[in-house]
Amino acid sequence: MTAPAWLDVLNETLDACAAHGRADLAERLRRRRDQRAPGTRIAVVGFPKQGKGYLLNALLNAPVCAVGDASTPAVPTEIGYAADPAAILVGHARENVPVGDLAKELEVRPPGSLRRVEVGLPRELLGTGLVLVDTPAIGDPRSPRTAATLDVLADAHAVILVSDATQELQPAELALARHIRTWCPALVLALTKIDVSPDWRELAARNRAALSETGVVADVFPVSATVRQAAAKAGDAALNGRSGFPELLNWVGEQAARPIERTRALAAAVSVRAAAVELVETLQTRLNAVSQDNGVDQVTLLHQAQRRTEELRRQNVRWQNMLSDEITDLISDAEYDLRERTRVIVRHVDRTFDEGDPVQIWPDFQTWLEENLAEAVETNYNWVSDRSEWIAQAVASTFGPHYGHAPELPLTGSGVDSIPEVGTPKIERFKIGQKLFTGLRGSYGGVLMFGLVTSLAGLPLINPVSLGAGVAFATKSVRDEGGMRLQRRQALAKAAAQRHVDDVFIRFSKEIKDEVRQVQRRLRDHFAALSDQLSEELTRQRELIIAGSAERDRRTQRVKKEIDRLAALHRKAGALGATARDIRELSA
Amino acid sequence: MTTLDVRELLNEAAAHYRDRPHAVAMLRECLERLDEPLRVGFIGTPGTGKSTLVSALAEWPTRALREIDLFDTPAFAEHVDATVRLVRHLEPDELAGTRSVGGSAFARQTAVNSVLVLGRADEVGAGRIDALLTAKQLARRAWREDPDCAGFQGVIAVAGQLGYAGRALRDDEFEVLRALASISRPELERYLLSVDSFVDDPFPVRVSPESRRHLVSRFGLYGVRLAITLIRTGCDSRLKLSAELVHRSGLGDLRDTLAGCFVARAEALKARTAVLRLEGLLAAEPLPHGDRLAARVERFAAAAHDFRELRLIAGIRGGRTALSGEDAEEAVRLLGAQGLAPTERLGLEPDADPAEIHAGAESALVRWRHEAERADAAHAERAAARVIVRSAEGLLSLFVA
Repeated sequence: MTAPAWLDVLNETLDACAAHGRADLAERLRRRRDQRAPGTRIAVVGFPKQGKGYLLNALLNAPVCAVGDASTPAVPTEIGYAADPAAILVGHARENVPVGDLAKELEVRPPGSLRRVEVGLPRELLGTGLVLVDTPAIGDPRSPRTAATLDVLADAHAVILVSDATQELQPAELALARHIRTWCPALVLALTKIDVSPDWRELAARNRAALSETGVVADVFPVSATVRQAAAKAGDAALNGRSGFPELLNWVGEQAARPIERTRALAAAVSVRAAAVELVETLQTRLNAVSQDNGVDQVTLLHQAQRRTEELRRQNVRWQNMLSDEITDLISDAEYDLRERTRVIVRHVDRTFDEGDPVQIWPDFQTWLEENLAEAVETNYNWVSDRSEWIAQAVASTFGPHYGHAPELPLTGSGVDSIPEVGTPKIERFKIGQKLFTGLRGSYGGVLMFGLVTSLAGLPLINPVSLGAGVAFATKSVRDEGGMRLQRRQALAKAAAQRHVDDVFIRFSKEIKDEVRQVQRRLRDHFAALSDQLSEELTRQRELIIAGSAERDRRTQRVKKEIDRLAALHRKAGALGATARDIRELSA
Repeated sequence: MTTLDVRELLNEAAAHYRDRPHAVAMLRECLERLDEPLRVGFIGTPGTGKSTLVSALAEWPTRALREIDLFDTPAFAEHVDATVRLVRHLEPDELAGTRSVGGSAFARQTAVNSVLVLGRADEVGAGRIDALLTAKQLARRAWREDPDCAGFQGVIAVAGQLGYAGRALRDDEFEVLRALASISRPELERYLLSVDSFVDDPFPVRVSPESRRHLVSRFGLYGVRLAITLIRTGCDSRLKLSAELVHRSGLGDLRDTLAGCFVARAEALKARTAVLRLEGLLAAEPLPHGDRLAARVERFAAAAHDFRELRLIAGIRGGRTALSGEDAEEAVRLLGAQGLAPTERLGLEPDADPAEIHAGAESALVRWRHEAERADAAHAERAAARVIVRSAEGLLSLFVA
């Protein structure tokens, strides 16, 4: 068996839908293609309380559907032929229930546990494989009931839209009719409850007008289920004629009599056309969007890019000057700062050794000096580090807020740990032996001097006076000698301390200068790279803008070609539908 | 808080807003509205039978509705004091649209000004003869069970067309109906099958097609069926039939609800509208020292016992409290569902002497105070009892002066 002609067209459209990201349309077409049901499917749809259930029961002359005050079921009911009446609830499993108990059974099922209900009835009408599908009432567009109904429509070959004669067609009903007619080859409006409406004829006329105004091709069949029921009970054919059902049944029979292949071709044709139209709309919107960024906008973009380039050039000069100025300042400031801090220390050292004896205070002093030097160096270092950060920020800010992140500037550390230990100066203590010797030297002069003077008075050289003077001289010379030694020690300690401070200063001022230069280099590298990157981006952008228009033209061409192809598919589908209809008309 | 306080509040607001003419004009209008009849708006999608219902109620020479103005589809919802909302079916989708959302805390707290009407109740159940009973049951069930209906003071099934036609039943119409009722039931049945059969077919009795058409356009086919059945079962005069049709149509229920919930509380509802509009003004054009006014608005909500009574009446009648049977009857009576006069609240004869009223009020107070303090009752029950206690106290306070 060769594949039917419509299959190719449908497949091609399906591919196009998938290619243009309309999975929803593709899914609908796929369902049309893969349908394997043996017969025509007619869906009965409508808003709540319009008499769908009554209509179906009257069509089939059987109480199949729930009617009246009970709320209509939330799942579709498929009614097909079966030699013996049967009802199957299809959920996770299939469950047989008596047809008579169907409404009761449905009421006790928890919502969501069923997918559909299948009913089989021994009716001649259904003999050709016709399946009537009762759908949940359409309502809130977000409700699962509405979704279930719209889902049924995707498989339906024909639709009976039910609306009652107590009210004109509502805008929502017209919109629904339009939607159905777009996707389904056959649609009729069943105007129910005409038995209680005195002016149903005018209403039917108004509904016909409203439908054709909306662009929907659909017959209107006014019917009354009550009258048909009464006619059936009384066996009154004339009354049955009044119920309006014979015409509706005629139409249903016509749908069912058409060979399924032709019905499917028709449905496929309509679906392809609907999908093609929707797809073209999508593409057209895309095309319009493309052409909108064309033209004026592009020139503006180019101008913008030009402006940005010039700005970037100015920026380059600005940030370089700023960086070198700031770094020079920082170096001199940092050196001055360190000098200042060490000078304070040196002044303190001088004061300390003007009074103190190095012998006694040196160990304490040494600790103090080391701590203070470390602190000075560290403070200076931190300060330099802060200033570097600030410089980085300042330079970054010249690039504008988008690039305001400065690079990390990890200084190599203040190196305080590596401050050399203060060398202990050679401090001579005035030892007892030396004191004794100095005392003897002094006492010798004194004894001799006073002994000579007193010997003139006839006293011996060694007498109490000369001895006293000796003692006095000895004491003085020991004190003098001690003072001199102290001064020498103090001078020594001072010199040692100062030399140490000087060493530290020289060493660290050099280190800090190096650090700052490092910072300078790092910042220079970073911002130079950033500047390069920006200018590169701009260049690329400009290239894109220039190349973009060419690309856009190409794309536009492609979309236009695609639209043409879809239009051809649409035409082809139309031809398919027409042949199918012709065949039907010929065979009818 | 009384109407007097609301006047004072509005006057004070007008003084604050004296430099803004439109605000002053609005407040003046609010003040004038307080002296006018209560405004009740009928709201609903087209085809729910608003106009029929409005005309059925408006031309009714009944004392209960004399004090109100009815508006068919008011232009501004906020310019009516109470609303009657009509729906065709009690379907979830339709009910979802009726729920009023938002509004200020005050508006929500005092939202006791709306009644839901299942219009065209005669269409329920495909025009079976018990359609109205079914519709009433549906309405009652929806009011009890459907959370979408909980905010209404009542859910009432009404066949507006039938009620209207029944109330204005003319002698000639009654004669035609009686002539039809004289035909035997099996014979008439086929003529009552549809409007077409009723109007077009040759009839066994001499009733002109014009008068048949007139009858069906006035009563509807269901109405004609019901009227004929009623005549057969004993409504043998125009007045009897008229009364029975009005009773069955639910129009009477609607009238009673309007009278009990809206007309009796007209002062409170009008004050509510005024306060709501003042609140809107305060929100739209804040005053530098508007806090005090806003605080008084809040106090109005807190102090207005009428609203609490109305809400509790709706709760008890809608079956959302633990009260039932005689207790529920007594409670709604004390809350003023059958009239605000002390005798009406206490279920006494209108000419009862003060001593009797005092005694009645006292015993009610004792009884419900006991209920309010029962340790084994749920919190909601005790809260409800406290509202009733407060109503009883109000009765007793009349004797203080």
